Amino acid sequence: MSRVTENSSHAAISYALNKTKTKLEDLQLKGSTLKAISKPSDNPISNVESLRLKSTKSDNGQYAKNIDHAHMTLSTTEQALDQLTEILSKAKEIAIAQSSDIYNADVRGNVSNEVIQLKNQLVSIANRRSGNRYIFSGHKTLTQPFTAEGEYKGDNGIIELEISKEFFIPVNITGREIFLHSKKGSPQNTDQLQQPEKLPSRGLASVNPHKTQNAPTNMFTLLDGLIIGLENNDSDTIKMTLEKFDESLSHVITLRTKVGSLSNTLMASSNQLSKDNIDIDTRNSKLVDADIAELYSDLSRQKSILETTYKASSNLMNKKLLDFLH
Amino acid sequence: MSNNLLNIGKSGLFSAKKSLETTGHNIANAGTEGYSRQRTIQTTATPIIKDGFVSGTGSVTKGTERVHDKFLEKRLNQTLSKKQFYQERAEQLSQVENIFNEIDNDGLNKTLNKFYNAFRELANQPENETLRSVVRDTAQLAVKDFHRIKKTLNEISTNIGSKIKYVVQTTNEMTKEISHLNKEIRALEVTGGQTGDLRDQRDLLVQHLSKNFQVTTYVDDKGSFVVNAKNVGTLVAGGQSIDLNAGPASKENSSSNTDGSYEVFFNDRPGFPVSNNFRTGELSAVLQVRNGDIRTLQDKIDNLAFNFINTTNSVHSKGFVNRDLKLGPNGEAPAFDLTGKTTGINFFAEPVSREGAAENMQLSDAVKEDLSNITTALKANSPGDNRIAIAISKIQHEKIYDHGRATIEEDYLKTIANVGLEVGKANFDFDQSEGILAQTRALKERTSGVSIDEETANMVRFQHSYDASARVMRAADEMFQTVLGIKR
Repeated sequence: MSRVTENSSHAAISYALNKTKTKLEDLQLKGSTLKAISKPSDNPISNVESLRLKSTKSDNGQYAKNIDHAHMTLSTTEQALDQLTEILSKAKEIAIAQSSDIYNADVRGNVSNEVIQLKNQLVSIANRRSGNRYIFSGHKTLTQPFTAEGEYKGDNGIIELEISKEFFIPVNITGREIFLHSKKGSPQNTDQLQQPEKLPSRGLASVNPHKTQNAPTNMFTLLDGLIIGLENNDSDTIKMTLEKFDESLSHVITLRTKVGSLSNTLMASSNQLSKDNIDIDTRNSKLVDADIAELYSDLSRQKSILETTYKASSNLMNKKLLDFLH
Repeated sequence: MSNNLLNIGKSGLFSAKKSLETTGHNIANAGTEGYSRQRTIQTTATPIIKDGFVSGTGSVTKGTERVHDKFLEKRLNQTLSKKQFYQERAEQLSQVENIFNEIDNDGLNKTLNKFYNAFRELANQPENETLRSVVRDTAQLAVKDFHRIKKTLNEISTNIGSKIKYVVQTTNEMTKEISHLNKEIRALEVTGGQTGDLRDQRDLLVQHLSKNFQVTTYVDDKGSFVVNAKNVGTLVAGGQSIDLNAGPASKENSSSNTDGSYEVFFNDRPGFPVSNNFRTGELSAVLQVRNGDIRTLQDKIDNLAFNFINTTNSVHSKGFVNRDLKLGPNGEAPAFDLTGKTTGINFFAEPVSREGAAENMQLSDAVKEDLSNITTALKANSPGDNRIAIAISKIQHEKIYDHGRATIEEDYLKTIANVGLEVGKANFDFDQSEGILAQTRALKERTSGVSIDEETANMVRFQHSYDASARVMRAADEMFQTVLGIKR
């Protein structure tokens, strides 16, 4: 049997009370924040993983913004290509109609005005802007890419955006690609800073290589040719443009397909990002959020433990042998 | 004959009174810190031979002694030392932990993430002046956070210096008091017997001293009480105490490899710091945190900042400014225009050295002065070229830290995880050592502590024996009266 002294029983009581109260305080903190961890040492591994998830999510937020931006640029490009198809089709129709010898010089003269209008439209499309940037001038986005005569002032720069981790897509086609139909210097930037990543970015204008064997078709000179043919009432010249119109149309359509498929990629990436974010939230919640049911049952248990400790100690502390000696 | 009986009664009366006094002393000191209960040493008086019989002559008190176990005392001191070590370690580290707590507020990890994403956003619209200013502001935030972390670490380290000074001061006060007590005890005990109360006081002081560092005590062959700081040297020898001192040391002499860090040395040997020799206790806890944990973190953050600055700069300096430049005849860009350099511009000011890279981190003057100096283009006169911005944002996911094994985030998070683990471990050790200390204290209290119940029972017992002894005297008196009455 060991001796129980005033100090030892007092120490025992205060040790027990302290222990219960510390636990209770911890639980109350969890209850008020509803978080299972409030500092790194509560669970170092979960804490770090949660931080990692947070930054992945914030990266994803940025990728989503990039996707929106790419979407905007690509849809402006798509519209422009759409209108371009229309212009080329119209010009081609005119060329087909005028290539027969039914029409006389007067009619052809009138029709040539229509084609001049089409050419003006072509120049306006070639100088299309999204916000304050020209979309067809490569990296020189603040320089108007085409003069009224159809001279190209831009460069061959391809602008790429990161739409999910280390996955880049090009979001522009250079004016040279579309209107001058030339592959010179493109689609890859000649002076890449870094080697392409594991996922090679797809060139927008990687058209069928066989076609590039032909002499480049310049859409501006093509329309100019038609105009000259009409003005000079020269059906042979007009006929000569026909094949080139076909070529140009199929070129533009190929480009539109590419842009469309890029838009699809964007959609898919965007969906994937949303899904990822949901997964991240679920995982993060498991890591840092407190299990409410468990928390409250723990809390009430600790409370009753504390009460029992109080009762036990009040009995122990207030009774002395002296109370019974009179 | 009745004379003897009277004397026996008297001795009983005296012993009972003495015992009652001791009981009273015990009760009065029930709450005194470090008090050991005392006991009256009572034996039978020397018997005498009378009328051919050996007969007793009552009781005699030989003084009081304290109920004390010196081995328990030593164990208590050691556990106290350990508990204080872990407690102080847990407290200091929890301050460090706060620096890296990003659960509810933004920390470096979030800020760095924002930094790289600002460049991603800029890559969307490299022509945009507003986004450039966002990039600069975000970078400024990252700089501030590097400052915050490093400076807070430095502060904690400096505060530990003042703590060391304080601990050394209290140590000197206590050793001085112990040496005084040694003298007093010697003077009192020269006449024999033990002064329980003074010894209790001395033990209590040694206990307090054990909180600072581990202490060993012994009595040497001349009977002097000696106090040693374990692994360091003698602090008290009998009536003599030897002072410690603490002061700033040069970088080569310091235990934390930091200029002006406080070191402990013997007052009469200032050139020989003994800081690293202390074992357990508060002193070695703060020293260990400062020289080990904090020092590692300081280096880590400097390293992180140094690499962060250099990787960003190495890419950024390849770019061209966002201004219209007059190209040379072969299309080459000029090295300078009216505003300044056109390429080779650092984003952050180049760090002088790896050490201190974090707290000295700054944006470069060029970037501070003009937003167009934030480069995005790899080619001159290409406002839509975003390759530099993309390349900078790509650094985020490149494994270039920790000898090419980790990205900046992985490296930093590993640091946080380590801090968390260390704090968790310290807290666990603290809890455990607290339990052990409570147990040891209880053991000591059980032996040396005062139990009011026990004292009450004793009081009743001694009161009774006082009463009974008085009766014995009355009986002797009555016998005397009877004898005297015979004559009448």
